[in-house]
Amino acid sequence: MAVCISLNKVSKCYGSAVAVSGLTLEAKRGEVLGLLGPNGAGKSTTLHMLCGLVRPTSGAISIFGKDLRSGFVAIASRMGVLVERPAFHDYLSVRRNLLIQARLARHSVNVERLLNLVGMARLSHAKVRSLSQGQRQRLGLAQAMLTEPELLILDEPTSGLDVESTEEVLRMLRRLADDAGVTIVFSSHLMHEVEVLCDRVAILNEGDLIACEKTDDLLSFDLTRVEVLVDGVEGASKRLKDQPWVSSVSIKGGRLHVTLKEPNTHQLIHYLVTAGYQISGVLPRRRTLKDYFLKVMNR
Amino acid sequence: MMGRVLTAYGVEVTKALRQRFTALGPALVILAVLGALPVHPVARDGVSDYAFVAYVIPVALNSLGLLLLLVYCAGLVSGEVADGSIRQTLVRPILRHEYILAKLLLGMSYAVLLTLTAVITAWGIAYIFGEMRGVSFGGDLVFADNEMLATGALATLAGLAPQFAAVAFAIMVSTFTRNGATATGVTVGLWVLVDLVKYPLGMAPFVFTTYLEMPWQVFSNRCEAVDAYWQPMLYYCLACSGGTFLVCSLVAIVVFHRRNFPA
Repeated sequence: MAVCISLNKVSKCYGSAVAVSGLTLEAKRGEVLGLLGPNGAGKSTTLHMLCGLVRPTSGAISIFGKDLRSGFVAIASRMGVLVERPAFHDYLSVRRNLLIQARLARHSVNVERLLNLVGMARLSHAKVRSLSQGQRQRLGLAQAMLTEPELLILDEPTSGLDVESTEEVLRMLRRLADDAGVTIVFSSHLMHEVEVLCDRVAILNEGDLIACEKTDDLLSFDLTRVEVLVDGVEGASKRLKDQPWVSSVSIKGGRLHVTLKEPNTHQLIHYLVTAGYQISGVLPRRRTLKDYFLKVMNR
Repeated sequence: MMGRVLTAYGVEVTKALRQRFTALGPALVILAVLGALPVHPVARDGVSDYAFVAYVIPVALNSLGLLLLLVYCAGLVSGEVADGSIRQTLVRPILRHEYILAKLLLGMSYAVLLTLTAVITAWGIAYIFGEMRGVSFGGDLVFADNEMLATGALATLAGLAPQFAAVAFAIMVSTFTRNGATATGVTVGLWVLVDLVKYPLGMAPFVFTTYLEMPWQVFSNRCEAVDAYWQPMLYYCLACSGGTFLVCSLVAIVVFHRRNFPA
């Protein structure tokens, strides 16, 4: 896959405060890259630098193979952006706001189709000042997708949306990446969103990139942590606690939760069967993004 | 580039037409002109009508009109920075200097709108209630009506130069500041400060505000049958205003280029 976004040693300082420090990162075309990190990690600053709202102090950003600074007009016409807490011209209608944005982008637009896509068709003529936070967020998504962009930069895209709408938006974004090959770079605080949507996750902390992994690799099975469905849970638990190859054992919901020192599940099964227990299931626990996030943050 | 500037200008006009303040300016200027009638009545005497025009246009434009223009332009950039809507614009395929040029064009259009409102209202009243047959002295026609019209037209055009400089000045301040109220305060404050110190410091000839009333001074003199000349003051007016316009526009573009627009 060709590279869509390339950041090379990009830094941003506000006076003596370093928001982003020497960030080197790439996103391939059609890829969904999630930026994760605590508050003040530099996620939003990175996204703002990608869409030209914030100028990097040093380093180079290229998008679609063009330098962002010298090729901004060409890049921006292929890019859709949703900033955090999107603001509009409140005195204009929803429809007029979109038409104005389309005119600036020099792109014809079917406003009704776009509003249908984000579930706001009936609010076409409503003044933006009358919209709720969730509706504003939907309008922000609509204007980001206004020009059928090849690249979407989204800062907290589901902020203010209810659960149903969040799922809907995530499904829509995933479809855009899978079917239309749209590259998506987005930031979120919500691990679930990132797990569902992203092909790759970059974790930032205090302006530094501390990890960048494929989501599939992160969410593999952890064979050192297993749930065992077994008869005689109490007895099995007591016996397992004495074994040197077991780190910890607990009982939750009538199941044994066993943490092994090594990923030797077969040893556990063999031991329990030999001891006369009947096993009806052994479930290795799937790693979560939260596990990984906490691990790299505590490193 | 010009295509993008004109597109952005079109968008600015569309937005401006839907804002109340845009209509408020001309409405207040009309009221100011009408309000001057009791102070300076127009009669069918061939004198008071031109005198009314000479009196009311500078009053309407250089006090109220100018204040409205400064307030309007000071909020053009800073208002969008304050409410965050500027970020939606700057992620579109438009360069920052093109955005500022579009704002300058809008500010200049507003100056033209206010000026034309004042001029048309004043001349309209003078034509309706007065007797405009030229300016006479001792029974001799000194300036025919078409000469007075031409003088008025030239004064209108020349009067736009310092107003355009004022537009660039207000937009420059607007690019420095983070909200409309601060921008307006700083713009008007600086304006007053410059007007206060320009004479004691001997820099009045180089400050464009000195020439705000100059174009209508010639018209006013001709109303009294005194021939007055445009030169050299018109040249000073154009040079000072043009220079200020260029410097302020350049500073606005440079400052705006360097600004960041985080959340």
